Amino acid sequence: MFSLILMWMLVGCGVLGLVTVLYFAWRGVPQRAIDDVVYFLYPVDSALLAALLDPATDHDLRWSLGPRHFREAQRRRMRVFGELLRRMAHNSRVLVEFGNALSLDDSFEPGFGSKLHEAAANVCVYCTGARLRLRVWLSLPDGFGLLRTPGLADLRKAADVDGVKAYDELRTAAAEAFARLRPDELDALTRGL
Amino acid sequence: MNLLLWSIPHWLLAVLLCLMLRNRAYKACPWFFAYVGFGVAADVARLVTHNHPHPYFATYWLTEAGYDVLGILVMYELIRMVLRNLIRTWWGRLIFPAALLVGVLLSLTRAHAAPPQFSGILYYIVVGEIAVRCVQVLVFVVTVAIVLIFGLRWRQYPFGIATGFGLYSVIALLMTMKFSDFGTSFKFLWGRTLIVAYSFAVLIWIWFFSAPQKPDPELPALTPETWKEYQAMLDQYLKFLRRFR
Repeated sequence: MFSLILMWMLVGCGVLGLVTVLYFAWRGVPQRAIDDVVYFLYPVDSALLAALLDPATDHDLRWSLGPRHFREAQRRRMRVFGELLRRMAHNSRVLVEFGNALSLDDSFEPGFGSKLHEAAANVCVYCTGARLRLRVWLSLPDGFGLLRTPGLADLRKAADVDGVKAYDELRTAAAEAFARLRPDELDALTRGL
Repeated sequence: MNLLLWSIPHWLLAVLLCLMLRNRAYKACPWFFAYVGFGVAADVARLVTHNHPHPYFATYWLTEAGYDVLGILVMYELIRMVLRNLIRTWWGRLIFPAALLVGVLLSLTRAHAAPPQFSGILYYIVVGEIAVRCVQVLVFVVTVAIVLIFGLRWRQYPFGIATGFGLYSVIALLMTMKFSDFGTSFKFLWGRTLIVAYSFAVLIWIWFFSAPQKPDPELPALTPETWKEYQAMLDQYLKFLRRFR
């Protein structure tokens, strides 16, 4: 009985997968032209990101504030980090679609856009993993002070991807693509990312 | 008429093999090329032994075992092609073994609940076939999910391979479950449905392999600079920890 239910669930997931594929075959894979990139990016403050993920800052706050005040301060920092993650995830989605368009464009050499696409996909993976953990941490009650407040430095790496490094690589790959295609918008891109 | 209907997917498979040779697709997906080549050879062998019961029996079951093994290898190749550099992550390396384990367990529990009417090695080939179908559906669902969630590219060949296998395996599993529930009165529809499903799967593959795919750049290997970066990061953290001694 249990195996039959599982098999039916598997078949159901397979049918859902086929419907999804048919939908994307009909709608087409999302792509972005170069004009649809810069104005759709949200700025991400690198210095703030580095400060939030710095283990020294976590340690200093833990020592200088009492447990209750540290918990409150840390939750505030987690919400700020959550907002940065949301922006990073959005930017990576925009650039994934742009990378898709570049890779499929026959006017460029094969592989152009692949580096951008890979970098953006890595940031997507990191943001998904980090946001999941952050949501769990923020949803946990303080456990009457019995649960240790987690440090944000633990989120430097999520889903085996170093977030800061991945986002720097994304910036570099995007800058390389824009330097070649639209050098006059390179400043706007750098500010936007 | 029956022979004509039975031969349609085999002719389509031969067309697919020619297309793959013409577009040099064997470089991009060698195991799938081996699967298609094996399929064509197996069809020829079965046709040749069709009127000889004992040789046909041995040929059929040997080729079924071959399909099982190659099916698994194609799924492994598919996961690697879709994930690319993400295959190096700990969760990327777990996807295929997890799918294989779940497929095998599902097949074994199903065989325990509704035992196939075979014994000896044939029992294991049939159970293996159901396990491979489960793995193919799981890998198809996982690749669709990964591409949707992480925005990975619907690369031409892997997308086509996954869709073809996904379609055929879903229908094959469905038919297998209905056949075991309703018994031999379902046999006629089961046979015809599987032939039609397999033909559609091969048509999907033909459509995807009809145009050459743009080559992707090679995955970057871990360079000495990358190792130095990791070492520098580790030294930084160790320095921080030493402050508390």
